[in-house]
Amino acid sequence: MNNYAVAALVQRLRTSVVTSPSGSLVNLVGTVVVAYVAVVAAQRIYQGGVTYFLQTMGFGLAQGSIFALVALGYTMVYGIIELINFAHGDVFTLGAFFSLALMPAFGLVEDKISGPALILPMLGLFVVTMLLCGVVNVVIERVAYRPLRRAPRLAPLITAIGMSALLEGIMFVWKGPFNLHYPGFLPETQVTIAPGVQIAAKALVVMAVALVLMVGLTFFIERTKLGKAMRATAQDSDAAQLMGIDINRTISATFFIGAVLAGAGGIIYGLYYNSVAAFDGFQYGLIAFTAAVFGGIGNIPGAALGGVLIGVIAAISDGYFFPAWTQVIIFSILIFVLVFRPTGLLGMRVPEK
Amino acid sequence: MVRARGLVVLILAAFVAFACGGTGGTGGAKGEIDIASDLPTSGADASSGLPTQYGAAFAVSQKATIQGFTLKFVPLDDAVNGKHDPTKGAQNVQQFISNKLILGMVGPFNSGVAAAEIPVGNNAPLAMISPSNTNECLTLAFDYCKSYAGYTAAELRPTGKNNYFRVAANDTFQGPAMADFAFDTLGLKKLAVWDDQEPFGLGVANNFATEFTKKGGTVVDRQGFKTKTKPDFHAWLNKAKTDLAEGIYAGATSATFGCLARSQSQGIFDPSSYYLGPDGIGDGQCIKDAGPTMGNDHLYASQGVADANANTTAAATIAAYKVAHPNSSDLGAYTFAGYDCAAILMDAIDRAITANGGNLPSRQQVIDQMAKTTAFKGLTGTYTLNDKGDPTTPALQIQQYKGGAWTTVKNIQL
Repeated sequence: MNNYAVAALVQRLRTSVVTSPSGSLVNLVGTVVVAYVAVVAAQRIYQGGVTYFLQTMGFGLAQGSIFALVALGYTMVYGIIELINFAHGDVFTLGAFFSLALMPAFGLVEDKISGPALILPMLGLFVVTMLLCGVVNVVIERVAYRPLRRAPRLAPLITAIGMSALLEGIMFVWKGPFNLHYPGFLPETQVTIAPGVQIAAKALVVMAVALVLMVGLTFFIERTKLGKAMRATAQDSDAAQLMGIDINRTISATFFIGAVLAGAGGIIYGLYYNSVAAFDGFQYGLIAFTAAVFGGIGNIPGAALGGVLIGVIAAISDGYFFPAWTQVIIFSILIFVLVFRPTGLLGMRVPEK
Repeated sequence: MVRARGLVVLILAAFVAFACGGTGGTGGAKGEIDIASDLPTSGADASSGLPTQYGAAFAVSQKATIQGFTLKFVPLDDAVNGKHDPTKGAQNVQQFISNKLILGMVGPFNSGVAAAEIPVGNNAPLAMISPSNTNECLTLAFDYCKSYAGYTAAELRPTGKNNYFRVAANDTFQGPAMADFAFDTLGLKKLAVWDDQEPFGLGVANNFATEFTKKGGTVVDRQGFKTKTKPDFHAWLNKAKTDLAEGIYAGATSATFGCLARSQSQGIFDPSSYYLGPDGIGDGQCIKDAGPTMGNDHLYASQGVADANANTTAAATIAAYKVAHPNSSDLGAYTFAGYDCAAILMDAIDRAITANGGNLPSRQQVIDQMAKTTAFKGLTGTYTLNDKGDPTTPALQIQQYKGGAWTTVKNIQL
């Protein structure tokens, strides 16, 4: 079933909900529930005070930034070849693993190095890890997806799941199933952002890194020749090919850039959570994929927005409601949004047939 | 031709070797008795499970024979993808049952696994003795058991008879013991409490919170976290800090990210804030997860057994164990509880053989003798097991992580 079939189905469901007599009841109940939750949330946020709200938003934005970096890779690949690259979440974990292994080579040893001395080796670590992840993803595409490009849609989906299992297996053998400690190089201090308002510096660093990468991506997509080629291929690959665009090279580049962002995401995930395990990526990838659908699959600003929103919703749920219900709340909102806006918040962008 | 003759010689030699091996393998004059163990010995749980298994194995190797029967230790791992798994545990017990040489097992380590294993073991029946299961509903009937643990002690025993024993103090003691320690000894007045939404974590956190409140302390931000995936604790920790909590109590284990909240509190809580938890976080994985930046000397964990080092008669055995296992990570909080479990089991088998006129006893006869265990002098305490399977005088200890190791700071005899 392709996207349009799903969209049409959801559209039909939505119409039936809106028009049928029982549907109006569902709508009424839905509206009441949403209104009630909104009122309670507003009340709690008001009572919590500005400082607490900003702190919570800080953590939400940090968490969301990492989701967004991973979601971008899903959405770029889906936008160009309509494949849910399940291995993407594991490329993200691989980023954390690579960087963990490379740290000593850059002189990054916990408790031995801190402050401004960190910046240069960190930069090096980011670049090397991102390149490595990019190369891995390009190889994955070459080996597991390209031979199946004209095959039925399910075949590459299965090889993607297979690649995910393979990567997890490799990481399992490499470092074992243990929860690995990831050094905490981020500052432990609080930063005053307004008089009397302090938020954790580490959340700000995560946001800043993600922001720089996303601005870089936007520049790349909008301003460079390769970016233009990617947009053209995403819109209509046959026409793009007729115009002389090397499709294979463009798709490889898409995988490369997606993995570069995932690799960076892996590093800041490690730095922010101080922990990484071989199996982290699969679940994390699912949430990131959800973020991509939330924002509108194939839509690059949509994936960033979806990721950040999921992070913020999670933080509000954790900070004002019940952490145990956070996932339920995220997915309830997702269902709600998709029923009324099946194309996601900013609309899907998928290849034209 | 020469080559062919060589081959014949080789085959003959192999036959002779095989035959010798065959006669040699029967061991003692009367045959072999196997002591099984089921513990999580890979992944995040391994830092608690392996030292416990080593303890049990050491007890079996010291004993070597009982009344002419040779002893063999058969350990299995109930961790799947590095985390203890009830289904895997139940399969392991099934495997033990099909091995006629096994007369009893040491384990499991986790209460959730025990709930899956006890009914399987009960039907066989197979004697089980756990060094570390602490969920009170495994042995005792409380009106809340069905709703919070999802089972009752009676449901776990379809035959109506008991086959399950343990040496650890149950959660009705462990949570409150830490609450008393936090309030009386550490002088804490306000703590935030989270749990991992698993039977053990939820139970111990509830018991902690109840006792801490009863003492006059305040519990803030009592929340649960789904730990099937790695949780993000930041927003909640920040809430706890805003509500002026002096520290955190984690109703969790290392496998459910018990000490991850400690490392995530970097930049939110002060490194000198307190982080408390049950036995599930009192291991090496917790220290790894907590990381070096958050003041590890403010980590405290309760343990459901007494400290063997406090028992002077145990010193020789402990020293012998340390010679056999010089690696410090091979010594866990439940190593000697594992030793005691195996010893209690072998003692019961010994009495069962005597009662059976020196012959191999049935599994039921071993269980009957287990239930009669009275004033057994183990390394971690003197054990009398009651008809529910619990020790009549459970003991606990509070450990603090200091100087690079979990160190006992208080022994509690109940």
